Amino acid sequence: MMTLLPACPLFAAHGPWSSTLHDSLFATHAPLLSVGWLAPAMLGWLAVAAAPLLIHLWSRRNYRETSWAAMECLLAAMRRQTRRIRFEQWLLLAVRTLLVVLVVVAVAEPRLESAWPTVSPGGRVHRILAIDGSYSMGYQLGGKTRFDRAKDVARRIVQESSAGDAFTLVLMGAQPRLSATAVDAAAMLDEIDRLRLPHAGANLRATVALVRRVVESVGREKPRWMRHEVYLVTDMQRASWSPAAAEPARADFLRQSGELARAASLVVLDVGQPAENRAVTSLELLEWPVTVGRSVSLRVRIKDFGLQGRKGQPVELRVDGRRMERKEMDVPPGGEASATFDHRFRSPGEHLVEVCAPGDALEVDNCRRLAVPVREAVRTLCIEGRPAGGAFHGAADYLAVALAPRAGQAGPSEHAPVQADVAPESAILERNLANYDGLFLCNVAQFTASEAKAVDAYLRAGGNVILFLGDQVSAERYHRALGVAGMPAGLGLLPAEIGPLVEQPQLRLDPLGNRHPILQAFRGRGQASLLTTPVFKHYRLKTLDGSRAVTVLKLADGDPLIVEQPVHRGRVIVVATSAEPSWTALPLWPSFVPLVQEMVAYCLAGEMRQRNLTVGEPIETPATTGRTLAVQAADGRTSPMTTRIAEDSLLSYADTSESGVYTVRGGTPSEHDQLFAVNVDTMEGDLSRVEPETLRSRTWTGVPFAYRSIRPDAAEAGIRVAVDGGTALPTELLWAALGLLLVETWLGWKMGYHDPAIVPGLDEGVDA
Amino acid sequence: MADSSAGLLDPAMLARLRGLRLRARTAVEGYTSGVHRSPFHGFSVEFAEHRDYAPGDDPRYLDWKAFGRTDKYYLKQFEEETNLACHLVLDTSESMRYQSPAAVGSKLDYARRAAAALAYLILHEQDSVGLVTFDCEIRRFVRASGNPSRLNDILRVMEESPAARKTSVGPIFHDLAERLKKRGVVIVLSDLFDEVESILGGLKHLRHRRHEVVLMHVLDPAEVDFPFDAMTLFRGLEGRASVLADPRALRRAYLAEFGRYRRGLQSGCRALGIDYVSMRTDCGLEAAIATWVAGR
Repeated sequence: MMTLLPACPLFAAHGPWSSTLHDSLFATHAPLLSVGWLAPAMLGWLAVAAAPLLIHLWSRRNYRETSWAAMECLLAAMRRQTRRIRFEQWLLLAVRTLLVVLVVVAVAEPRLESAWPTVSPGGRVHRILAIDGSYSMGYQLGGKTRFDRAKDVARRIVQESSAGDAFTLVLMGAQPRLSATAVDAAAMLDEIDRLRLPHAGANLRATVALVRRVVESVGREKPRWMRHEVYLVTDMQRASWSPAAAEPARADFLRQSGELARAASLVVLDVGQPAENRAVTSLELLEWPVTVGRSVSLRVRIKDFGLQGRKGQPVELRVDGRRMERKEMDVPPGGEASATFDHRFRSPGEHLVEVCAPGDALEVDNCRRLAVPVREAVRTLCIEGRPAGGAFHGAADYLAVALAPRAGQAGPSEHAPVQADVAPESAILERNLANYDGLFLCNVAQFTASEAKAVDAYLRAGGNVILFLGDQVSAERYHRALGVAGMPAGLGLLPAEIGPLVEQPQLRLDPLGNRHPILQAFRGRGQASLLTTPVFKHYRLKTLDGSRAVTVLKLADGDPLIVEQPVHRGRVIVVATSAEPSWTALPLWPSFVPLVQEMVAYCLAGEMRQRNLTVGEPIETPATTGRTLAVQAADGRTSPMTTRIAEDSLLSYADTSESGVYTVRGGTPSEHDQLFAVNVDTMEGDLSRVEPETLRSRTWTGVPFAYRSIRPDAAEAGIRVAVDGGTALPTELLWAALGLLLVETWLGWKMGYHDPAIVPGLDEGVDA
Repeated sequence: MADSSAGLLDPAMLARLRGLRLRARTAVEGYTSGVHRSPFHGFSVEFAEHRDYAPGDDPRYLDWKAFGRTDKYYLKQFEEETNLACHLVLDTSESMRYQSPAAVGSKLDYARRAAAALAYLILHEQDSVGLVTFDCEIRRFVRASGNPSRLNDILRVMEESPAARKTSVGPIFHDLAERLKKRGVVIVLSDLFDEVESILGGLKHLRHRRHEVVLMHVLDPAEVDFPFDAMTLFRGLEGRASVLADPRALRRAYLAEFGRYRRGLQSGCRALGIDYVSMRTDCGLEAAIATWVAGR
């Protein structure tokens, strides 16, 4: 049985040509086969099928005239042949009309496909509607996004289902979400209406696993639903559907897909189409930290995901919503272009930088935002473990100078970018460490429990600790109080175990290729002093296997000189030597200043990473006792933050599924708001698609499923869709048309529509 | 020769036909002696003259004495031989006016020229020739005569006979059989578009009167081949209704019907001992006549 689907199978309303996808999918006696069209507009040429009839009628109105003597023979021939001639003419007319119809239908590219790979009649049906939630579904065409059209398709499926059928709505996102399960169609329609498009990718593997669990669960608990049908409404984007998307654990993916296909009918409804896109792939600060009055550079990168590119792509810089600068960039086809903006922040506090490159139909990735906390100055506290009588008798003095070399030289209107306070050990407890961006601990002999706890709290709040060792350092007490990451004892704050003191001078340093960001300032500068810095004494640091510690700089004997590791929300850097000249010439060398300042910048970059997130990453901020915080999301909704882990004293907000600016508001008016910028992962900006054949042969190898393409048709206002997929028919139709052409020729010959000279024997028996 | 004959008699053609002799196959009645056998015995048997031997002549009448003297074959002609009285029966109905693009002239033109040539041949052999024109009835009747001026009479009458009115062949033959008292040769030139049974009935009557009958069936090539290839309105001649038809679809059936009609005529003629001669107006007249005469 075959149903001819019209150009608008899903959305056609009435009429003899209004068979719907539903008709073929959900009717009580649903047909096994249906036909959809790739080029439905071509069906308009079916009117040409009337041409043979019109030509026939026209030829009857346009005739020649001749007088005729042998009229009796003619009339006798007509009397004998009238019925045969009429039959032959109708037959020939039908063949010619069918010939035209076949050619037109072939040009319209029909697709014959099975509606139900594993259909079984009767029983209630459980329909799982999995809608692609990758942000590429935000691509707009004709005023509607792909996501809108996917929801339309889902609504249609629900509306056309029989009473008693059940529905499950799944959002196929980076983390697939079971949105709702309902028997009531109206409730499900409400759920579909409420569904919002996240701005992340889609995880096919996780979606299949989730849907399989749903099918299993419903099948076990609700056996009255005898059949399960899974509709994946998607734009077939390569990032989500390519075979690589199923990696790793491809075997597991195929196994789960196969099990799902055995338990349910799989139907892929493709609402996508080939499209071009450009995205702002990165926006980064080139100088850090950002302080008031300091000019900073912002680099923006724009990538073209297509074949067209764009010359003169407008790019606009906005700061706190105000347009600051506009540039035009030439983005090559399939390539990337970058531009740099300079800006000077005039006031401290939270600032939002936004760069937009409008001009394509996928708006989500046309803008990229950066939350920038701007300080009056970077404040550091240098704790001197051995209080000295005069200047530069302790390591902290060298550090303070290196941190703020121009302290006291700046004019009244200028702010020194870094301020360094030198204080004794007691300041660890006496001062509010939260006021400092970095805590330098120089030659501190040991830490009491309360001091260790204060340091730990400081790190949990996002602080940064840089330890310079020295002759007073007791490794054993360090290990006991602060603890080494990966070791059971202590707080786990140290990135490396402190070993024995090595007093063998080391005359060269190994920068490890200057790969670490701290050494970025030395990159490309050859022998710029750092490499030949002598180190006379150092502690042998030992990083533990499996720890997150990273060696920044090594000594010539292979011992780490600088090791760093993120701890809690902050960072700990350990320098194996002291900042005093008796231990190393480093404090006296010019390279000491950039090295120390880069340490600070590197530590504070962690704050930028915490403020600038990718969609799906949670917003976290340190909790304070009695403090309540709320997040105003990008869509304007405000929600309270929740405690993630009590021990961490962190408040968290997980629902960052949409890109934009999130504002964390304090419970009291005195508390400052914190801005968080959530940006999309622009891998999703590549709108290239996976072809159904690839899906069938590579992604879902051996997994039975039905595929249909539901595409907008610009020929009509509103939504028009055509269904294709399945088996292509044009070739067969053209062969059939060729066969009919031969039949027509043969019929014409047989019926006398041919050269009289080839008719033998008519004059037989008549003597000349 | 009269001026009126100029259009119907082509001197070149007549020169080529001059060697032919039209002989009656059966006995005919005549007033004068000739090359045709007479049904009457005891008539004059005196020698009349010699003439050149021609293939087909009875060798019994060869003059061997003359052969011995001249070394040439001569035939002796005797007074008991009679002359042939031939009536040319020309159809001048409206259907004879038909002419297709492939034909040189109308069927009537063709039949007139054939009749003129035959009249010339007959008179040239010292035989008598007459003319009958008819459509639905006999219009003109020129009795057979051996006078050379008869040729002019025949030509003039033919010129004065336009194609008009319906054909009614069968009754005409009956009427003619009654009018022609003496046995002779009747040559009919017609397209014979009438009922076959009626035609054969008339011919049978003529044969009953012991006339030798020759049926020259004059046809246009379009009537034989039906070469039309587009929708055509066939306007019936002789008052018949018009018909709109697709000739390509009808062609096979028409040709079958037309063949059946011709075969019916031919077989009927054969049964009655009548010469049936099919003449296409796109074929040369000289060849048609020569072929027929030679075949007798």
